Amino acid sequence: MKPRKDLLDIASLTDEEIEFVLSNAVPFKDLFKRSVKKVPTLRGRSVLTLFYEPSTRTRSSFEVAANRLSADVTNFDVESSSVVKGESVVDTVETLEAMRVDYIVVRHKQSGTPNLIARSTRASVINAGDGWHAHPTQALLDAFTLREKLKDIRGARVVIVGDIQHSRVARSTSLLLRRLGAQVAYLAPGSLMPRDLPPDVTTFHSWDDVLTNFRPDVVYLLRVQMERQGEQFFPSLGEYHKLFGLTDARLQVLRERKLWLMHPGPVNRGVEITDAGMNYERSLINEQVENGIAVRMSVLYWLRPGAE
Amino acid sequence: MKRLYRNGRIATDSSSEPLKCDVLIEDVRIIGVAETIESVDGCEVIDCSGSVIVPALFDLNVHIRELGREDREDITSCSEAAINGGFTGMVLQSDTNPAIDTGSAVQGVLDTCRDKSRIWQGVYTAGAITKGGSGEELAAIAAMKSKGAVFLSEAGDPVINPQLLRRAMEYARQFDLPVATHGEVKELSGKGSMHEGAYSYSLGLQGIPAISEEIGIARDVRLAEFCGVHLHVQQVSTREGMSTVLRAKERGIRVTCEVSPHHLIFNHSHIGNYDTHYKVNPPLRTEEDSVALLEGLRNGWIDVVACDHSPRTEFEKNQDFASAPFGVTGLETALPSLHHHFIKPGHFGWDVIVNRYSTGPRKFLSIPPVTIKEGHLAEFVVFNPNATVRFAREYLRSKSINTPFLNQTLSGQVERVIFRGAELLVR
Repeated sequence: MKPRKDLLDIASLTDEEIEFVLSNAVPFKDLFKRSVKKVPTLRGRSVLTLFYEPSTRTRSSFEVAANRLSADVTNFDVESSSVVKGESVVDTVETLEAMRVDYIVVRHKQSGTPNLIARSTRASVINAGDGWHAHPTQALLDAFTLREKLKDIRGARVVIVGDIQHSRVARSTSLLLRRLGAQVAYLAPGSLMPRDLPPDVTTFHSWDDVLTNFRPDVVYLLRVQMERQGEQFFPSLGEYHKLFGLTDARLQVLRERKLWLMHPGPVNRGVEITDAGMNYERSLINEQVENGIAVRMSVLYWLRPGAE
Repeated sequence: MKRLYRNGRIATDSSSEPLKCDVLIEDVRIIGVAETIESVDGCEVIDCSGSVIVPALFDLNVHIRELGREDREDITSCSEAAINGGFTGMVLQSDTNPAIDTGSAVQGVLDTCRDKSRIWQGVYTAGAITKGGSGEELAAIAAMKSKGAVFLSEAGDPVINPQLLRRAMEYARQFDLPVATHGEVKELSGKGSMHEGAYSYSLGLQGIPAISEEIGIARDVRLAEFCGVHLHVQQVSTREGMSTVLRAKERGIRVTCEVSPHHLIFNHSHIGNYDTHYKVNPPLRTEEDSVALLEGLRNGWIDVVACDHSPRTEFEKNQDFASAPFGVTGLETALPSLHHHFIKPGHFGWDVIVNRYSTGPRKFLSIPPVTIKEGHLAEFVVFNPNATVRFAREYLRSKSINTPFLNQTLSGQVERVIFRGAELLVR
């Protein structure tokens, strides 16, 4: 396997690399049961988190992962830096390059920004979510979580529900699960369903239809917002909940059929999910969070700053 | 002073293959065109074996940047880029800062060209449709016309308010000024940065749907029909947009349209890994669209080629795809790229270049075409199809290098440019 510098998306990964990251996450997760959860793997290495969009959860997950590998972690505080004074991303990266950090974990609201950064630094760049484009560590942790439960992802049927159009999670997780042999369907209102989807994804506009005709093993809910940049995509959150939310009646079907439930967080209670849904016994939401740390440790362990 | 261009082949509007001919010029004019012309005493002889002698090109869509953004381009650098690409004439767009929206602004830019451009006699300017190009009030249309504006254009933007465009068209008609528009419905384009389709989906970029252009063109065509004005549709990028123009022509409406080399050559798949050198407006569409546009150019449904030369600094283009500005430069790459991608593989002949990129644009402006015939002004390009050209920074005369062809090597090179008898470029 050739050493790789950056993790920017799922599409550019080889099968071998995917397997490497997923299988190495297993021993890292085993560490969490010990009283000392730290290994010296990245001692003396520095990890910098550069979040242009607020995200406490993902950022903390990367911090914990880096700490458990004994790396030094620094948060670049975008809010109080010269970024707000109009400094460009490329200018900021030149500064970071001078600091000689080894890994940059970046989140940005514009798709492709991690690619831009990766071109101008020798540090390893890890995409922690860019625009609608990609969220590769989320996809890897989702695949890891499903593999733990299903043993083999091949043939698993996963329906992703919600704002498919604007979701980087839908893009990355769907792509990875399909590469690992899963069947993926999307359930969304017409205004949030992209027109030009890959041909191996089936689309649905009603729960009844998807439950009857797709018969999923896994229901993956996405966070939904009614408005984006002043543009409205459906009439009200109430109507969304009624038509596309996991209502208590639909939860009952999940329970009867023993379906797994996933969500990348943070959830909108009362919109895509109810309080009862949050307490569903086959919900994997908390496991996704725990596995996120193991998978991110595995990613940090795998990437090689300065490679290529 | 006489000069003999010997053993070349002349590109004409009626033959896909250029015809073997020698061309003799004296001072500014061509004094002889024949299969063989013997050299006379004191005559400079230039061997053009293997080369094609092409009537000099003319581009209807050039963004000049002077005044306002001279860091991107100024009149001198733009003119030199034009010469470097085989152009001896062009129409400047109105989107300078301040905009070309008054009679004195038109006068000002033409005066500057006289001082700073080696091809000033071939440089014309458009005038804005609205003041400052802001889409709110009519610009000084009569005054711009009186100072020489050749048509009205809002540069890269549509006039959003159809009533305002209607008034501009009604008003322009009495001066017989064509109105050029960019067919787009801004509300449908939103903040999109590339064509809406499978690639915008996988790159996670907001798309500009084809219907934004199609509905925009349909609206403008209908308004032009209603107002009786000559409409020129700039930068057609979709099959359906082109069909709308074609249907209008068949109904006898006065409408013409242009296509750029980049829309013929590239499609949305070329954006690859967020390469902002492929970010243009209208965006690069599908391969099917490019094929349809090529067919339209061959069949004459598309009247002219125009490159939409839009200089941007390296800093501006070195951003994430959505934040980087639209636009590519085109004057220096247009002819070699059309040769490389279409003439050499046999998709069309030299007559298409002559008709659509030399005669057509001049006819649109009602200025005489530059013809390689006895008695005409000597205004032509010696193009060597057997040479190669590499678009390195040092080769480019434009201040900006935002071209997808940067550092690419293509077949065919502009070797000499003759303007009114003078050799402006000898490579």
